[in-house]
Amino acid sequence: MPSWVGKSLRRREDPELLTGQARFIADIARPGMLHAVFVRSPRPHARIASIDVSAALAMPGVHAVLTGDDLPEATAPQPCTHLYAGQRETPYHCLAKDRVRYAGEPVAIVVAENGYLAEDAADEVDLELEPLPSVGSAEAALADDAPRIYDDCGWPDNVVGEFRSEMGDVDRAFDEADAVVHERIDIQRLFACPLETRGVVAEWDPYGDELTLWTSSQILHIARDLLAAVMGIAEHRIRVIVPRLGGGFGCKFHFYPEEPATALAARVTGRPVRWVEDRLESFLATVHAREQIVEASMALRADGTITGVKAEILGDMGAALHTVGYGPVWLTSVMMTNAYAIPNARVHARAVITNKTPLGSYRGWGQPQANFVVERLVERAAQQLGIDSVDVRRRSLIPPDRFPYKGLHHVFDSGRYENCLDLALETLDYDGWRARQRELRAAGRHVGIGLSFYVENTALGPSKLLNAGGVQQGGYDISRVRIEPSGDVTVYTGLCDMGQGITNPLAQICADHLGVHPDSVTVVTGDTASCPYTGYGTGASRGATVGGASLMKAAGALRERVAKIAAHMLEASPDDLVIEDGRAWVKGSSSSVVTFADIGRAAYIRPIELPEDVEPGLETTAAFDPPQMAWPYGVNAVVVEVDVDTGLVSFLDYAYAHDCGTVLNPLIVDGQIHGGIAQGIGQALFEQLPYDEAGNPLFGTFMDYSLPTTMEVPRPRLAHQETLSPNIPGGAKGVGEAGAIGSPAAVTAAVEDALSPLGVRISRTPLTPSEIVRLVEEAAARAPERVPA
Amino acid sequence: MRPAPFDYRAPDTLDEALAVLGDAADDVSVLAGGQSLVPMLNMRIARPDLVLDLGRIAELTGVERRNGVLRIGAMTRQRAVETDPTVRAQLPLLPAALRHVAHLAIRTRGTIGGSLVHADPSAELPAAVAALEGRVELRAAAGARVLALEDFLLGPLMTARAPGELLAAVEIPVPAPGTGWGFAEVASTHGAFALAGAAAVLRLDRPGGVVEHVRLTLLGVAGTPVTPDWVAPALAGRPPAEEALAEVGARLRDTLEPRDDAQVSAAYRRRAAVELAVRVLRDAARRAEGQAP
Repeated sequence: MPSWVGKSLRRREDPELLTGQARFIADIARPGMLHAVFVRSPRPHARIASIDVSAALAMPGVHAVLTGDDLPEATAPQPCTHLYAGQRETPYHCLAKDRVRYAGEPVAIVVAENGYLAEDAADEVDLELEPLPSVGSAEAALADDAPRIYDDCGWPDNVVGEFRSEMGDVDRAFDEADAVVHERIDIQRLFACPLETRGVVAEWDPYGDELTLWTSSQILHIARDLLAAVMGIAEHRIRVIVPRLGGGFGCKFHFYPEEPATALAARVTGRPVRWVEDRLESFLATVHAREQIVEASMALRADGTITGVKAEILGDMGAALHTVGYGPVWLTSVMMTNAYAIPNARVHARAVITNKTPLGSYRGWGQPQANFVVERLVERAAQQLGIDSVDVRRRSLIPPDRFPYKGLHHVFDSGRYENCLDLALETLDYDGWRARQRELRAAGRHVGIGLSFYVENTALGPSKLLNAGGVQQGGYDISRVRIEPSGDVTVYTGLCDMGQGITNPLAQICADHLGVHPDSVTVVTGDTASCPYTGYGTGASRGATVGGASLMKAAGALRERVAKIAAHMLEASPDDLVIEDGRAWVKGSSSSVVTFADIGRAAYIRPIELPEDVEPGLETTAAFDPPQMAWPYGVNAVVVEVDVDTGLVSFLDYAYAHDCGTVLNPLIVDGQIHGGIAQGIGQALFEQLPYDEAGNPLFGTFMDYSLPTTMEVPRPRLAHQETLSPNIPGGAKGVGEAGAIGSPAAVTAAVEDALSPLGVRISRTPLTPSEIVRLVEEAAARAPERVPA
Repeated sequence: MRPAPFDYRAPDTLDEALAVLGDAADDVSVLAGGQSLVPMLNMRIARPDLVLDLGRIAELTGVERRNGVLRIGAMTRQRAVETDPTVRAQLPLLPAALRHVAHLAIRTRGTIGGSLVHADPSAELPAAVAALEGRVELRAAAGARVLALEDFLLGPLMTARAPGELLAAVEIPVPAPGTGWGFAEVASTHGAFALAGAAAVLRLDRPGGVVEHVRLTLLGVAGTPVTPDWVAPALAGRPPAEEALAEVGARLRDTLEPRDDAQVSAAYRRRAAVELAVRVLRDAARRAEGQAP
């Protein structure tokens, strides 16, 4: 049987996307549609003294202005799906009631004939706020005299969640260590920043009392269920549709206040209502990500073997928990051993509330932070021990014979980690670059080489693990496959297509398992009316693995029915059939062929042709819940040059070796990695969302939020190895977040290596031009004799 | 991000535009390429009563050479200037600076006059024109006046343009043959606003000789482009050797007074500007010698 899996089929959605034919939220227009804008708090913390909407409401073309007071009694606070043990609740409504806790929090929705009138009217909403003391950093929020942000809920402090985990004998490991290194790492706040901002269109059918909600979401059914819960209506009265998305990267994995608020506006006005987040609001209204302070230590033997790790993690959650609880902070803590067989580990995480935009999901969740911390410690240890950091990694990587390997929390499935390290060194020509680095340094140039090793948790599930950990979502996926009367195939999946290309590998999997050409397979996404329920939504690098495995089951079951019908028609045994490219024939006798069109006609139109024990119709549904997660891994190997006078970093080389198990579509896997690396470079060098001490944002547009462009991002040279996951049929591991996890650490290590002759040590990002010059000048002040003439 | 209501006029001639401007009692924003004004309107930072669009006035566009001076109409698109054969041949510094202005799409809309009137301290064009000793022609219903660019630029986003005036053209004297040039800037990403930058022109008395003319202008280190008047006397009569350039760098380090802002520190701007100044002087000297920089 020819395999479509593994082929670089071109992305089926690209012609539509590249010619501007794709329809995004902002392209959806409904008859009589009105336009909404939100009035948002300009202050980080305040009591709402009054909101006078009368002037706005009196303006021509304005249909409604709704505030927290207009929410129906039954409106529930914005819910979380991730309820970790001991996690406090941070109740807030889709429109603020009584109090605002961050700049950008929605306080009113204004609905008018068009967006211009709505903005004019929003200007006329008279919002009177009484400022309350506020706090702009997690450390300040922990102070004894810090303002209590949820004093109205009886909180004694601002800690919303706390988590501890430990294995081995950590104290003994540190007591007996030959070397101990310690670092305080500051990881900045940034965000996913998809080029398509968020948006919602809500339309009520007054006859059926049914709501249709088009929304830019990665969590199709979860968005429906949460909306139903918040509005107090039955799920089946809500249809959620996700049209084309211009990127999600995790920030659309959340259930946002604008979704119920827009739905309510549509109900109140009796008209369809569209809201599209503008670029200015996106910086404040879409979840932020990453920000943590981590104090961590590593214990090692003199030969570089890592024997222990300790970490104190402080996560700044912003003003409220947003859908996923304090999940990213939790994940950072349990990933603190990275890819290493470190027997002794102790982590303590605290998630803290501040008066900033809520923090949530972004490609990698808590993994890039943990990777950055561990890989910084590895570099520091190598410097202290005087050995190459490559050798420190090599000594402690989990060896192939120890899988499945139980770490702090997870069970790692399979891998040839050291092979992958060697593949990276070879791909980069590590020794060659070290030799060139010596030459270039002698010529006065600041060239550095940096590596990082990552593992990524993918294929989330299993449901038992998620539910036991407090997550109110399953870890399974369901697919439905239908052969139409024409013989063409339709796949229905609950996964969302946000630009990552998920429909392509699904079509390839279906083609292989059903015996058809992928061009005859249509993949339908993004509609709760037709797509099967999906446990966790489209995140955590799980679509192609968990969704793909459920599709294999469904397609395999359907193939059995096809074989029965074809065998009946050919007067043969199903076991003797070949089914390929939409046709079936008896092995060795291709003169007599039955097509899928023949079978489709029989199944729907001429059941007289069906065997006795086969029901009409050709459709199967199957679920898959993984027994454990799948763990891809890889190495970023980076060469940079730093201009110490302008602080600019340029890439001389970028190699990336990885293993994501079976590669379903190499073109898409490469693209995922390229994109992840670009975002990791953004984290290492460019992006940040700074606040002042009181929680006032010091950012606002792309003038200050610096995203890397194609001019800043190198074209990485990729190398693949394939070690199958035993947990996923077909052996694929996820890859969606991989590129973003290890790249910040590798780029930072390369910059530090370039500047190490000057005595520079790096423990925070981003490494902007200004920050690099500051580091160089600070090092010069510490050790003036090191500065070159 | 949608503008507040405003009236809109788009006259076909300069005289008509000046008449509209002269009659207007209200707050008027002049729309050239719109690459700064339209975002400010959308963010409601600018809330003019009237937007006067110069986009239809043909007489404000074009490049012509007259009596050793290149005259560029204010509404000439940046991209048109960047690719104009006469400009490329006679004022190569200008296209070199323009290539750093944002992205192609923005330069295709943005105008020469719009950039000068906007007077952003981090903009490339004002610094390049200042290094080239350019002048601007301002027109009012009552007549015209010509100002040196330094006299036109008063501070960040502030110019000497009077309420009834429009910038009609920029005039740049064509440098003598053999004049070398350099332009460099540092920005956080390609096309972003410059954190610091420098432009220089330099001519020698003869090949391998000494500096006869030099002019250095820095951007991003003060409210307007900075052209230190001591650079020419410091280098005149000397070969443009590294030692001489380092002296200029050292003196700049002592005299520049950039300010901290949300993006970068004063110390950063000083260090980067000094480095870029030395680089552009070096580049200009090499080109003056007929070498590639």
